Amino acid sequence: MAVMSPVDPAADAKAASRSAHWRPAGALTQFSVFAERSLRTLIADRRLIVLMLAQPLILLVIFSQVFGSLAHPSRFPVGVNYIDYLMPAILITSGIAAAVGSGSELIRDMDNGVLTRFRTLPVGLHWVLVARAVTDVLRTAVQTALLLVCAALFFGFTPKGGVLGVCAAFLLALVVITSLTWVFIALGAWLRSARIMQSISGLTLFPLMFASSAYVPVDSLPAWLRAVALVNPVSYAVDATRALALDWPVGGEVASALATSFLVMTVAVVAAVRGFRRPPTR
Amino acid sequence: MIHTAELTKSYDGVEALRGVSLDVEQGTVLGLLGHNGAGKTTLVNILSTLLPPSGGSATVAGHDVVRESREVRGRIGLTGQFASVDEKLSGLDNLVLIGRLLGASRRQARVRAEELLSAFDLSKAAHRQCRTYSGGMRRRLDLAASLVGRPQVLFLDEPSTGLDPASRISLWETVEALVADGTTVLLTTQYLEEAERLADSVAVLSEGTVVAAGTPTELKARVGERTAHLSVTRREDVSRAATALRRAGLSAVENPGEGTVSVPVVAFADLAHVVRAVDEGGVAVAGLTLSEPSLDDVYLSLARKSTAMPAV
Repeated sequence: MAVMSPVDPAADAKAASRSAHWRPAGALTQFSVFAERSLRTLIADRRLIVLMLAQPLILLVIFSQVFGSLAHPSRFPVGVNYIDYLMPAILITSGIAAAVGSGSELIRDMDNGVLTRFRTLPVGLHWVLVARAVTDVLRTAVQTALLLVCAALFFGFTPKGGVLGVCAAFLLALVVITSLTWVFIALGAWLRSARIMQSISGLTLFPLMFASSAYVPVDSLPAWLRAVALVNPVSYAVDATRALALDWPVGGEVASALATSFLVMTVAVVAAVRGFRRPPTR
Repeated sequence: MIHTAELTKSYDGVEALRGVSLDVEQGTVLGLLGHNGAGKTTLVNILSTLLPPSGGSATVAGHDVVRESREVRGRIGLTGQFASVDEKLSGLDNLVLIGRLLGASRRQARVRAEELLSAFDLSKAAHRQCRTYSGGMRRRLDLAASLVGRPQVLFLDEPSTGLDPASRISLWETVEALVADGTTVLLTTQYLEEAERLADSVAVLSEGTVVAAGTPTELKARVGERTAHLSVTRREDVSRAATALRRAGLSAVENPGEGTVSVPVVAFADLAHVVRAVDEGGVAVAGLTLSEPSLDDVYLSLARKSTAMPAV
């Protein structure tokens, strides 16, 4: 088609910049704007807050009362009551559920038109992901802290590791949860389909949680289940957390849990950012 | 302000754009016409840096859309068919958020947001979640959102869809004011009327290529005439009316089944001739309507022409 005017990008650029009146926001501003957005939408619905806090509590009641009342399996460590055994595991398993939720939330957010608008703004898209990861882990941290307090107050949670041990366990759990959150954020960024995400979470959530040392000692599981539990990374995370909280001898478990988490997190972050940056399908 | 050279885009085996070259000068409006699937939205998405092109190049506001996308993004605004605001936030929060991402301080962003909300008559709903807004309000908010950064180039992708006539006119007035202020606008639309009102030049996109470009008047002149449809009170009068018109030097097509006579007219003044001719013929007229060439007429005509003349 005929060119209607001489092409002069330099003149255009000059004309355009004469009126661009703000300089694009820096990294920290971008992060805090996105984080504020995530938090604000979280707080916007009061009902969600109540559910958020009630859900882990309900799980705690169910697990402690139902499982705790069963006769202890033969390989149960002596002198440890069930609630002390269970709590560190709950730190990890509630984190798994939250991580899966993060992935689903990201997909839902991607259907939200505003993300398309963000793609047309001079911002780094990865900050959207970082903001999501940070706010989600923060939310989980608040929930689990509340759980610990309730367990201590109402369920007889008196771990030998004391406050220090529990804090250490809490921090380790947060690292594990953060890396899991990034894994599911990466999945969400690549899959972009709520249905596929649901199927994946359905398939993986229960095996991850139950085929592990979370609720019963691995040795007391039937042979085939024990085999799964021994390759389940959750078992190792739970073992490390438990050792810290109950003041058990700590071998390399804590170190390897940390190392694995950081490794997984690095891969997941790279994958997530790559996946998210891909243009929308239209 | 907007320049594309042989822009192509294919995905999923579909060739959405096949060599589009356009130029839009600063402070003008280009109307992009085309049916669904013609490639309008794909073109807008590429120019607004949402999609990378498969081939060719494009510069917006003096920067290449692929290599300097960040610079482009700081100078454009986009309003899409799908209002892209965060439904869970309030109108005010949405605009402030965008302002801050563009580099405004919290206070500056708020001032700008309130200014826009008032200009678009959304001040009363400013603190409500967007989820509660009506369709028209959401469109206005979406447009406001695209204007937060005072963009040099504005992309409006079918902005009137779903708007009632009053809102549509209001939108047109807003766009005209922006253009008068120096903003460059690329507007995609299916309404010839909208292109006629707003566009300084028009390009017609069909199956990924530009099949015609020019001013709206030029385009309509290429397509054909307006047609006056005269309906007579008595069916028998159709041939009498036609005779009277032909005697006055006008061509007439009789539609006895409908009781109307169709007369091609070029200028509105011709209508006076039509009425006078029929009146002098002593025929009782029941009604007179004027039909404009429609977008379909544009396509049909251009499709015919483009097969006859490959180099358009």
